[in-house]
Amino acid sequence: MSYKFDFAFMADRWPDFVAGAWLTIQLTVLSIALGFALGTLCALVRVYGGPVLRRLVGAYVEAIRNTPLLIQIFIVYFGLSSLGLKLSADVSAVIALTVNMGAYSTEIMRAGIQSIQRTQLEAADCLGLTRLQTILHVVLLPAMERVYPALSSQFVLLMLASSITSQISVEELTAVANNVQSDTYRSFEVYVVVAIVYLVLSALYRFAFWAIGLGLFERKRRLGTPL
Amino acid sequence: MKTASVLRLILGAAFALLSLGATAHADTLDDIKKAGKIRIAIDLAIPPFGMTDDKMQPAGSDVDLARLLAKDLGVQLEIVTTTGPSRIPMLQTNKADIVVSTLSITPDRAKVIDFSLPYADHPSVVAGMKSATIKELSDLDGKKVAVVRGTTQDSDLTQKAKGAQLVRYEDDATMALAFASGQVDIIATARSLLPAISKKNPARTLEAKITMQTNYLAIGMRKDEPKLLAWVNDWVKTNLQNGKLVAIYKTHHGIDIDPALLLKAGG
Repeated sequence: MSYKFDFAFMADRWPDFVAGAWLTIQLTVLSIALGFALGTLCALVRVYGGPVLRRLVGAYVEAIRNTPLLIQIFIVYFGLSSLGLKLSADVSAVIALTVNMGAYSTEIMRAGIQSIQRTQLEAADCLGLTRLQTILHVVLLPAMERVYPALSSQFVLLMLASSITSQISVEELTAVANNVQSDTYRSFEVYVVVAIVYLVLSALYRFAFWAIGLGLFERKRRLGTPL
Repeated sequence: MKTASVLRLILGAAFALLSLGATAHADTLDDIKKAGKIRIAIDLAIPPFGMTDDKMQPAGSDVDLARLLAKDLGVQLEIVTTTGPSRIPMLQTNKADIVVSTLSITPDRAKVIDFSLPYADHPSVVAGMKSATIKELSDLDGKKVAVVRGTTQDSDLTQKAKGAQLVRYEDDATMALAFASGQVDIIATARSLLPAISKKNPARTLEAKITMQTNYLAIGMRKDEPKLLAWVNDWVKTNLQNGKLVAIYKTHHGIDIDPALLLKAGG
């Protein structure tokens, strides 16, 4: 094979890549925020909730963590549409990614919450903290600090997995790559470019989560050591 | 100093690999005969061209054509399944020897691969629900139109129907599902596909509204393969004239193709 590399298509197609990367960022930042909120809530229910609620959350977590993301996306996009609930591809993608993110962050946050020792809760009780204050300051924030590396990895994984939404016509980064590839036939070059863009995005996300972590966890900011 | 030498090492390895690839290049027709098998890329998600039958075996007009070609060449057939967007990359990356996969002849594609004489014609249409009034491309303004990414319908509508909102799917099956489930009401596709898509959901029957253009389907192969191209061209001509390709088309599509027209279109 005599293959000649040719990146000339970037001259007029780079705005497409920028638009695709921007949609990827919008989709995933929204899904990460919503999914993490959902996951935290479910984790609290899983640890402190009643038996029925606990089982419900357990079923949700297992159902999502044991089925492929692509199938979940198809169910939201094609399944709900067959039942008469027509959601656009972008909305379907955010819903599916959020539900997926929620299940994984439930498990991660549950591990964090369960790592908080009973003595801490008793101390909070003695200090006269209300139940809400205890959950916020004594349980959730330290729990999140403990599992923060695992959480940020999962967030970055979700960003990478969002490439699958190109299958339901979401015009995100991978879909743009497929479009350009099918117009120019420079498949190798296009996917090299898009791989680099994903690498840069991952680095950006990791940096952003590190910065957010510093802002959130005062102890870590002052001492620089993990909890 | 250290990074420079590492970089040199990587570059050296890359060049070694590339030049190795270049020397390994030989004549594909000879390679096929030597290997005793031909690797033909077919998309098995485009009924009735390529599909999987009720016994889970490859079937369809492209599959039958590939079988006949391999038999006449005297070699085993190895079907390499592909998708619309990856048909040409399959050739470029040497994952297949030839492509028989509803591949229309276009000038852009002819820049990167060679085409045989056309073996069938293939009109593409804009289709919608019976009740929809769509007479020309401007009627599509502001409407969602489903296409398969990288197809001729995709590039045609991208250029000619700028007001339409193109929704791009990866293959015909996904696009058909999008129509059957009601995510889109208009699709641009090959006329040959309409019956199969309508069958998925009888409440939503498709009707051809606009004929965009008639494409000619041909066998695709890598450039600079004169021996292979000559053999395939000769084979297509022979089998159009003896009626074998016409019969294959009739079986799967229910229509007669016109050998004289195709041979004229092929020059």
